[in-house]
Amino acid sequence: MTTMATPTQSAPDADAQVYNPKSESVTAKRVKSGIFHAVALALTAVVLYPAVWMIASSFKPNAEIGGANTSLWSNNFSFDNFATAMEGIGGVSTLQFFTNSLILAIGAVVGTILSASVSAYAFARIKFPGRSIFFGMMIATLLLPFHVVIIPQYIIFNQLGLVDTYIPLLIGKFLAADAFFVFLMVQFMRNLPAELDEAARIDGAGHVRIFTSIMLPLMKPALISTSIFSFIWSWNDFLGPLLYLNTPEKYPLPLALRLFVDQTQSSDYGAMIAMSVLALLPVLIFFLVFQRYIVEGVSTQGLKG
Amino acid sequence: MINRRHFITTVAIGTASAAALAACGTGSSTTAGETGSAEKPVTINYTWWGNDDRATRTRKAIELFESKNPDIKVNGNFTDFAGYWQKRATEAAGGGLPDVMQWDLSYLRDYGQRNQLLDLSTVKINTDAFDKTLLPSGQIRGKTYGIPTSTNAFAVYYDPAKLASLGIAEPDGSWNYEEFNKFLSEVGAKGNGALFGGTDYTGVWWMFNVWLRQNNIEAFTEDGKLGFSKDDLKKWWNLSAKLRGTPALISEERATQLAPKSPFGSNVTATEVTWDNFMAGYLADSGAKELKLVPVPSDDKDNLGLFLKPSMLMVASAKTKYKDAAARFIDFMVNDPEVGQIFKTSRGVPASQTQRDGTTFEGTDKLVVDYEKSIEKYLKDAPEPPIVGFGTLEASFKRVSSDINYGKVTVDGAVDAWFKEAEDLIKQNA
Repeated sequence: MTTMATPTQSAPDADAQVYNPKSESVTAKRVKSGIFHAVALALTAVVLYPAVWMIASSFKPNAEIGGANTSLWSNNFSFDNFATAMEGIGGVSTLQFFTNSLILAIGAVVGTILSASVSAYAFARIKFPGRSIFFGMMIATLLLPFHVVIIPQYIIFNQLGLVDTYIPLLIGKFLAADAFFVFLMVQFMRNLPAELDEAARIDGAGHVRIFTSIMLPLMKPALISTSIFSFIWSWNDFLGPLLYLNTPEKYPLPLALRLFVDQTQSSDYGAMIAMSVLALLPVLIFFLVFQRYIVEGVSTQGLKG
Repeated sequence: MINRRHFITTVAIGTASAAALAACGTGSSTTAGETGSAEKPVTINYTWWGNDDRATRTRKAIELFESKNPDIKVNGNFTDFAGYWQKRATEAAGGGLPDVMQWDLSYLRDYGQRNQLLDLSTVKINTDAFDKTLLPSGQIRGKTYGIPTSTNAFAVYYDPAKLASLGIAEPDGSWNYEEFNKFLSEVGAKGNGALFGGTDYTGVWWMFNVWLRQNNIEAFTEDGKLGFSKDDLKKWWNLSAKLRGTPALISEERATQLAPKSPFGSNVTATEVTWDNFMAGYLADSGAKELKLVPVPSDDKDNLGLFLKPSMLMVASAKTKYKDAAARFIDFMVNDPEVGQIFKTSRGVPASQTQRDGTTFEGTDKLVVDYEKSIEKYLKDAPEPPIVGFGTLEASFKRVSSDINYGKVTVDGAVDAWFKEAEDLIKQNA
């Protein structure tokens, strides 16, 4: 570690005319930092406003949400929306929707971590015939728009009788079909020094041993970011469950949320927003718990001198 | 060498299994379909769109059906309206449409023409109790693809309390366009910027359709082309020309700010021209105590151009294995008086007379039913199912007319722009 050498001593008079940003006065720095923080705070307020609006609206009666009502806060503060939201829809309790979402999200995280890390190890560390072709094909699937494969995929799962089960939604995760995560991990592994594997190999370790004892611990940051993304994506996925699930008892939250707003009848915006707030909590908690590991992981990576 | 031979074997196995899979897809089917018994009931899938309220009511109806028909089990599923059509499109392409479905008129021709829907005239469904002007709206080229569950009609909504507070007399619905415009201007003038007369009614496709009928013009010809001329549309969009930019009509900017709620539901306008089954939604959105319905304006006192439109239909999949069970379920859902009692007007006013008679209507329900009764003598045949791509046409009608209100285009320019879009679309789908 080197310390930043900032010359704070006053320079000789002859050099005083030369502009040197590092020798600005302390007050100027304070003003600058003040402006920076004010701008940053203003931007944060703009970015966070929708969330604040959502939380404030969840306590308003339905008739006061949106439309001509512009005030953020209502005098008719109540928890009614949350009560309605928790009642569930059409005989299915909201807890059931939460459980379903959790099963899908956890399944997705576990599946992606297991399959993507193994595949990435193969791509990054094992030389096998056709490696670059397979790698190219995997990258190519990234470029394939999801909408192109919807119908062929549906036909396959329908013929196999797997529609209305969680299998179509999870099987891809366990087979490393999320090329993005495989790619992410391959790139990460390529940055890990090969000397580590070589040292392990000299000590007699095989691929399994190298993967589990050397690679996995070092890949923690990549694994954590993969978990966060795959959890959030699965939690927010609407189209997949919409297409593959038929029984309302199996619906995850995003499908349930939409049921509160019905264009052809009356829309209960209040209950929908209250449920959105509830649905946001697990994602928020998941992120808050795991995000510090990303930073931690990055700083501990690498060889020790 | 080994690699190539291995490759060829793999391809051969693959092709064979694909053929086998394809063979599985085309199962044999009898005319009546498979039937069940009380000991071994058949299960049909039924799907609908809607909210919690509809789910509760539909489940009740299904329970009733199952208790009366022990040889059939109904597996009910539901999603929201937008997701509903994404799901149906995928299922139709994949050959997995549910046996019976709740349906919307604007999608009937699309799926009917692609042979996805069962011709219901080949199965036993009793339509004796239906208004004869209504049934053609479920038929395409002599085949019956949908049976209407319920009807809606066009109307002018107003809020009596708001009119009273401005000291304006309630309208009785016998008005021509000039009188209607004058009424909107009066509300706007007295509303003092807080209350506008209404939204620009010329931007509503169905209101245009009603006006065309008042002038004895059909919106679409039988071969799916536009039945009206550019001059007709010009006349229509000029009807409210003098009101634009005055407080008689809410500005487009303001209306957009209020979305997704309607200006009427947000208590910013005193009237709204739309379907009569929006009543419950407006009441919930606005929190108003009472809303009333009157007929639309017409320059011909004897021809209001009004018609009943199926607010939703029941259809069956062409591929269903249980045609008989599907038909019995549809028949039950549209005709049974107890089903009417369960749904009231939440699907619209029941279309079948037996169901209407078996239902007691109170409060808002009664208002809507009474309105449809009051216009009975003016009713004409329901239009045929809209052309394929009608949804896009309707949306562009709204968009182009709001461009007029924004002042981006003149009426003449708007007419040209819309006609071009419409003709391109019709050509594409022909």
